Amino acid sequence: MTRRTYLIKRVLQAIFSLWIIATLLFFLFRMGLPDPTAALITEGLNPEQRAAVRAQFGLEEPLWRQYTLFLTNAVQGEFGTSFSYRAPVADIVWDRLANTMILMLVAIVIAYGIGVPLGAWLSWRRGSRTDTAGIFVGLMFRSAPMFWTGMIAILIFGVGLSILPTSGMRTLPYDATGFWPKVLTLDFLWHAVLPVMIVALYYLGSPLLIMRNTMLEVYGEDFIEMARAKGLPERDILYRHAARNALLPVVTQLAVTIGLAAGGQVVVEVVFSWPGLGREILNAVRTSDFPLAQASFLVMAAFVISLNLLVDILYTTLDPRVSFR
Amino acid sequence: MTLPPFLRAAAGPLKLMVQDRLAVIGMCVLGFIIAMALFAPLLSTHDPRQINEIEDGSVLLRGPDGWALSDSLGPLALNDADTAAGEALIVGREGTVWARDGDGWTRRSVPTDADLNAVAIGPQGGALIVGAGGTILLRDGDGWTAIPAPAPAELRGVAWIDAATALAVGAGEEIWRIDTAAGTVEEVTSPVGRGFSLNSVARDVDGTLLAVGVRGLAIRYDPDTGTSLERLGSSRDLNHIHIAPGGAALVTGERGTLLRRDGTDWTTDPAPDTRALRAGWIDDDGRAVAVGRNGIVMEWDGAAWVLVDTESERHLRALLIDGDRWMALGSDRFVVRLAPPSAEHWFGTDHLGRDLYSQNVHGSQIALLVGFLGATLVVLIGTNVGLIAGYYRGRTETVLMRTVDVMYGIPFEPFALILVLLFQPSLLIVILAVSLLTWRTVARLIRSQVLSLRERPFVKAARVAGASDLRIMYLHIFPNVMPLVFLELAIIVGVSIIAEATLSFLGLGPPQSISWGGILHDARLSGAWRTAWWWNLPPGILIMTTVLSVFFISRSLEVVANPRLRARG
Amino acid sequence: MQKQALRLGVAMAATLSVAGPALAQERVPAVEIYTTTESYDPIRYESAFMIADAWRELGLDVTITPLEFRTLLDRFYSEQDFDAVILGWSGRVDRLDPQFFLGTLDSRQGSPGANNPGGYDNPAYDALFDAQSREFDIEARRDIVHEMQDLYMPDVPVVVLFHRDEVVAYNNTTFENMNPMAGEGLYSEWVPMEARPLGDRATLRIGGPQEPDNLNPLASTSVWGWKWMRLYYDRLVRLSPEVEPVPWMATEVEAVDDVTIDVTLREGLTWHDGEALTAEDVAFTFDYYMASDYSYFNSYLDPIDTVEVTGDLSVRFTLREPSAPFATITLSQIPILPRHIWEGIENPETLTPDQIPTVGSGPFVHDRYDRGEFMALTTNRDHFHQDEIAVDGVEFLIYADAEGVFTALQTGQIDMTAWRMEPGQIPLAEGNGDLNVVSVPDFGYFHFTFNTRRAPFDDVAVRRALTMAMDRERMVNVLLDGRGEVGTTVVAPVNAFWHNPFVERFEFDLEAARAELEAAGYSWDSDGRLQR
Repeated sequence: MTRRTYLIKRVLQAIFSLWIIATLLFFLFRMGLPDPTAALITEGLNPEQRAAVRAQFGLEEPLWRQYTLFLTNAVQGEFGTSFSYRAPVADIVWDRLANTMILMLVAIVIAYGIGVPLGAWLSWRRGSRTDTAGIFVGLMFRSAPMFWTGMIAILIFGVGLSILPTSGMRTLPYDATGFWPKVLTLDFLWHAVLPVMIVALYYLGSPLLIMRNTMLEVYGEDFIEMARAKGLPERDILYRHAARNALLPVVTQLAVTIGLAAGGQVVVEVVFSWPGLGREILNAVRTSDFPLAQASFLVMAAFVISLNLLVDILYTTLDPRVSFR
Repeated sequence: MTLPPFLRAAAGPLKLMVQDRLAVIGMCVLGFIIAMALFAPLLSTHDPRQINEIEDGSVLLRGPDGWALSDSLGPLALNDADTAAGEALIVGREGTVWARDGDGWTRRSVPTDADLNAVAIGPQGGALIVGAGGTILLRDGDGWTAIPAPAPAELRGVAWIDAATALAVGAGEEIWRIDTAAGTVEEVTSPVGRGFSLNSVARDVDGTLLAVGVRGLAIRYDPDTGTSLERLGSSRDLNHIHIAPGGAALVTGERGTLLRRDGTDWTTDPAPDTRALRAGWIDDDGRAVAVGRNGIVMEWDGAAWVLVDTESERHLRALLIDGDRWMALGSDRFVVRLAPPSAEHWFGTDHLGRDLYSQNVHGSQIALLVGFLGATLVVLIGTNVGLIAGYYRGRTETVLMRTVDVMYGIPFEPFALILVLLFQPSLLIVILAVSLLTWRTVARLIRSQVLSLRERPFVKAARVAGASDLRIMYLHIFPNVMPLVFLELAIIVGVSIIAEATLSFLGLGPPQSISWGGILHDARLSGAWRTAWWWNLPPGILIMTTVLSVFFISRSLEVVANPRLRARG
Repeated sequence: MQKQALRLGVAMAATLSVAGPALAQERVPAVEIYTTTESYDPIRYESAFMIADAWRELGLDVTITPLEFRTLLDRFYSEQDFDAVILGWSGRVDRLDPQFFLGTLDSRQGSPGANNPGGYDNPAYDALFDAQSREFDIEARRDIVHEMQDLYMPDVPVVVLFHRDEVVAYNNTTFENMNPMAGEGLYSEWVPMEARPLGDRATLRIGGPQEPDNLNPLASTSVWGWKWMRLYYDRLVRLSPEVEPVPWMATEVEAVDDVTIDVTLREGLTWHDGEALTAEDVAFTFDYYMASDYSYFNSYLDPIDTVEVTGDLSVRFTLREPSAPFATITLSQIPILPRHIWEGIENPETLTPDQIPTVGSGPFVHDRYDRGEFMALTTNRDHFHQDEIAVDGVEFLIYADAEGVFTALQTGQIDMTAWRMEPGQIPLAEGNGDLNVVSVPDFGYFHFTFNTRRAPFDDVAVRRALTMAMDRERMVNVLLDGRGEVGTTVVAPVNAFWHNPFVERFEFDLEAARAELEAAGYSWDSDGRLQR
C-alpha cells in the first residue's frame, strides 16, 4: 500500500466515524431528551400552541425526514437555528469554540512549554530527590480535580487577596465590538490568568512524565552511548541528541490533547464562568436544544478526529518504522 | 512450588512495587481509603444525611455591642418569662421553671413535666404558669400547686385580671377564667368559635384583656361584659402581645408582623425582615424591641424598626426586660448550620447542619465503587476486544478496531455528561458513562501487544500442539499482557474517580448518594463555600490523595510493563 | 360521573372494612414522588425527602425520583404520568390577578399539556371559576374567589408547600430609592425609572445569572426576555409598584359596556426613530399578535374579538365575552410595536438576532446586546415620563451563575441583583455595609400535586392525611432558613385582597393523619404498613 492510498483510506475512515457519531447523536437526542417545548407550559402555553412551536422547530416531521434533512444540511455546514436562542447555530458554536480554544491552547502551550524541558531535566536527575519531587508535583496536579483547584484558586486569589478576577472573560460592560478587539486587551488577559493557570497545571503532568520516561528509554539506545564515548558534553547529549529523539511521543500526546481541547474542560468553564463550548453543550442538552447540542458535539468530534488523523500522518512522516497497514 | 503462569505473572509486579517507595506510600494510602469505605458506618460520628438540630435554653443579653449569647440555661427551650417587683421567672419545655436568684438563676421544681408556655406575675405577688395538657400552676409559697383544668387544652397565654383572677388562652380557642382563690376554672365563650388558636393575652390599661391568635384574630375580654372581636388590621398569625402600663402596645406575628398601638390606633409597621416574630416588648417612652425565629432581633429607633446584629441562629421566643437588663430567650430546635470544626463535628457542618466529617467518610464509598467497578469493566471489555482483535485478525479485527476508531472520535467528558443527562443520574449510568469510552485505549494497547505476541515461538508451539484458540488466548497470551493490564487498570481507576467526582460536581451524580464531588457541588451551590473552608478542603484533598496514590502504584507498574524504564531508574 | 361512582365505591369499601375487620385488606400501592434534581433546585429536592420520611412513618411505601427539569415538566404536564410531583409556579405580576392560579384547578384544564395535570374535578368549582371571570364588580368577584378557595381546600388536590421570599440586594452607595415590588423583586420595570444615582455613574447596572432567549417580541418565551424588552417597549397600561393599573400610553380606558372597551392614547407619543405613534400602531400590534404563530400572549389575547381604530388616538376593543382581567392584565402586558417597521415582516419568529427590530416607544432605548455578556439601554429623553427618570441608562450584565452575580455585587461591578441570592450568600451580603438586603414575599409557590386519578391519591382521605404528614413549617425553617411562608391556598397570603385567610389549614400532625386514615377504613399490618 502506498502512502497516498493509506492517507485516502484514513480520511475516509475519519469521515465514516464522523457520520456514525452524528447518527448516534441524532437518535440518542431525539429518543432520550424531553420535548424542547416542555418548558413553555410554565409560561402558560396550551397544547395547540405548543404544537405550533414544535412545527416551527420542524419537530412535527417524521423522524427519518428530520434525520435526512439534518445530514444533508450538516454536509453543507448548515446546522439550523437554535431553539432557545433563535439564532443560527453555526454562529453560536464558532463563538463558543473560539472562547474555549483560546483558553485551552494557551494553557496547553504553557503546560508543554514547561513540561517538556522539565521532564528532560528530571530524567537527567533520575533517582534524585528533585526527580521524586518533580514527579510528585506533576502527578499531584494531575490527581486534583480541576473544579477543586479552581475553587481554591478563586478563594486565594479572588476572594482572599482579591488581586485577580474570578469569572467571565472581561470586565462588563465594554465598548469594543468584534472578536479581536474584544480579545486583544489587557483586561482579557487579566481574566484569563486563573483559568489558564489551573488548566496548565493540570496538563503539566503528562508532557513531564512522558518526556521523562521516553528520555530514560532513549538513554539506553546505542547512539547515546556513542555520543558519550565521543566525549560530548552531557548537556549536548541531553538536549541535542536524546531530547530530539524523545519528542515523538510528546508531540503525539500534544496533538491528542489539542484534539480533545475543543471539548474543553466543562468544569473549568463552569467554575470560572467561561462562556465556552463545553458549558454551552451542557445547557443545550438540558434545554433539549437539538440543533445546538448536535452541532456542538459534532464540532468537538470533528476536532478530535482530525487531530487524531494528523497524529497518524505525523507518524508516517516522522517514524519510518510505521508500516501502512 | 509451582504457580500457575498468570499468578506468577502477577507476583512479579508486586515484588517490584515493594521496592518503590512512592508505590508503597500509594498502597498504604489506598489501603487506608479502602478501609474508610468499608467501615464508613463505624467511622462516622453522625448519620451523614441527618439535619442536626439542637434544643437549648438559650439566653441572649443586650450589651453595648449588640445582643450576645450568654450562658445557657440547660438543654431545654425557654418559652416565656415575666418580671415584676424585683423578681423574675422563666418557663420552658418539660416543666422547666427558673427563678432569678441574685445574678444567677435557680431551677424551681414544679409538679409537672408538661411543656410550659406562659408565665404571669400578678399585681400582689401571685404567679401563674400555664402549659400543655391543660396545665395551670399557681405559686403557693415556695412551691407550686396545680389547678385542675376542665379539658387537656394546650394553653398558650396567661394574664392577671386582678389580684385573684386571671385569664388563660389556648390553642383550641379556649378562654379560661381562673379563680386562684377558689382554684376553679370557668370557660368563657369565644365570639368566633372555630377553634382558632389564641397565642397570647395581656392586660390592657382599662382593666380589660386583649388576646391575639392566628389569622389576625384579636379578642377583647371585659370582666363585666364578656368577649368581643376586635380588628387590629392584619390577617397574619399573631404570636404575642405586650401592653405597657401607659397604654403603648405591641403585637408581633408571623412574617415580620408588627402592630403597634400609639394612643388608641393600631398601625402596621414595616419590618426589616420578613421572618416570624415571636415576642415583643414596648414601653411608654418609645422604646421597643421584637425578637423572632433564626435569631432575629429588631429595635425601634423612634422612627423605624432596625434589624440588630446577632451572631446567633437560635429561635427567640421571649423577652425579659428588667430595667437595663434586656434578655432574649429561646431556643426550640434550631439547625446547626455552617458550624466550623468542633469536637462534636470534626469537619464542621454544611448549610443544612449535616455533619461533614461523616459525609466525607461516606464519600469514599462511591469514589472507590465507581473507580474500581468502572475500571474493571473497562479493562474487561478493553482486554477482551484487544485480545480477540489481535489474535483473530481479519474481518473481526477490522470491525472491532473501526468501532474503537469511532470511539476515539468522541470527546470523553461531554459525552459522559450527555449520557447521564439522557438517562437520568443513577449509579449504573454513572459507571457506564465513566467506562463506556475509556476502554478504547486499553483495546488498542492490548491489541498491539497481542499482534507481536502471537508471532512468538511459544504461541506457535501451542498451536502446533493443538491447543484451542481460547486456550492460547487466555492461557498463553494473556499472562504476557498482564503487566500492561494491571497498569491500565490502575490508571483507569484514577481516571474513573476523577470522572465520577466531576459528574457529581456538576450535579449529575447518583441522587441521594454522598460523594466527594457531590459535597463540593453542594458547597458551591449553597453560595457559602467562600467562607466555609471546612466544606471545600477535605473532599478535594481526599480525591487528590486517593487518585495520587493510585497513580503512584501505576507508575511502578509501568516499570514492570516496560522493563526498559528499569534500566537506570 | 365516573368519579362520583368511584367515590361511592370508596365510601362503601370504608364502611365494609369497618363493619367486618375479618375482611382481607390490601396494601396501599407504593407511590413515587417526582422532584427536581438537587442542582436545579436543592430546596424542592430536599423537601421531597422530608415529606417521604414522614409518609414512611405512616406506613406508605415511598420512592423519590429526581428528574431533570424538562423531563419533569414533560412527565407532569404532557404525559401526566406521575403519582405526585413537586413543582412550582413563579409569581409574575400578571398572576396577581387570581385568574391564572385558580385556573390550575379547573377540570377543563385537565387534558394533557394543560395546567391541571393533577386532574382535580369539581363541577361546583368550575362554575365558580366562570362566574368570577365574568364578574366586573371587584368586591363581588373577591367573594367568589374566596369561596373557591374555601371549596377546594378540604379536598387538597394540591398542597401549596411554601412561598419562598425573594431575597435580593443592592449597593446603597451607588443608587438610592430602590423599591422592591411583589413578584418582581428589584428587577421590576419601575426600579430603573425610580432609582437615583448617588455617585458619578448614572447608569444603573443590573446583574443576572441568565440572559434572554432572544429579544424578539414575537419569539421570546422567557421572563428574562420580557423583563428587558418591557423597558423599551411601552404598554397601554402599566401596573404600579402597588400593582394597581395606572394609565400609561393610554390616558383613558373606558368600559362602554361589558364587552366594549375604549382606549384613548396620550398625545405626542413618538417611536424611538422619531415617527409618530398613533392608534394605527395599537390596532396593528394587537392584530399582528393575534394573526401570528407566537403563542406566548395567547391567553391574554383570547378574550379579544376585534380591535378597531376609532380616531387618531383612540381604539375600541370588542371582547367575545366579559373578561375581568382584560384591563389589568391584557392591556398591561402587550407591548405596542411600530407598524411601519413590523408591517413588512412576514415570519417574524425566524428573524436572526441581527435582523430583530429594536425600535420601541418606551422610557429607554435599546443600545446593544452582546450575547452572553451584556445588554445596554439609554434613557429616552423624548419620553413623557422622562422627567421622573434619574438614570441615564440601564445595563444588564450576564453572569454564568449566582456566584458570579454575587461576586460582581460585592466588588461593585453591579448595583443590584436581578435574581434571588443563594441562602449562603445572604449572611455575607447582610454583613456588608455597602449592601442593602431586601426580602420580597413571593406570591408564586412551590406545590405538591397529587395525581387525583390514581390510587391511592384518588381518595380524599389519603390526600388529607398525607398533607397533615407534611412538616411544612420545618421545611421553611430548615430549607429556607425561615425566609418564606407555609402555603395555604393557591392565592398567596401576600396577595391580601384575594387571599382567603379562613380556609382549612393542614398543620403537621401525624396523630391526626393516622386518625383521618383510620376513619376512612385504613389500617396497618403487623409490619406497620398501610393497608385498606
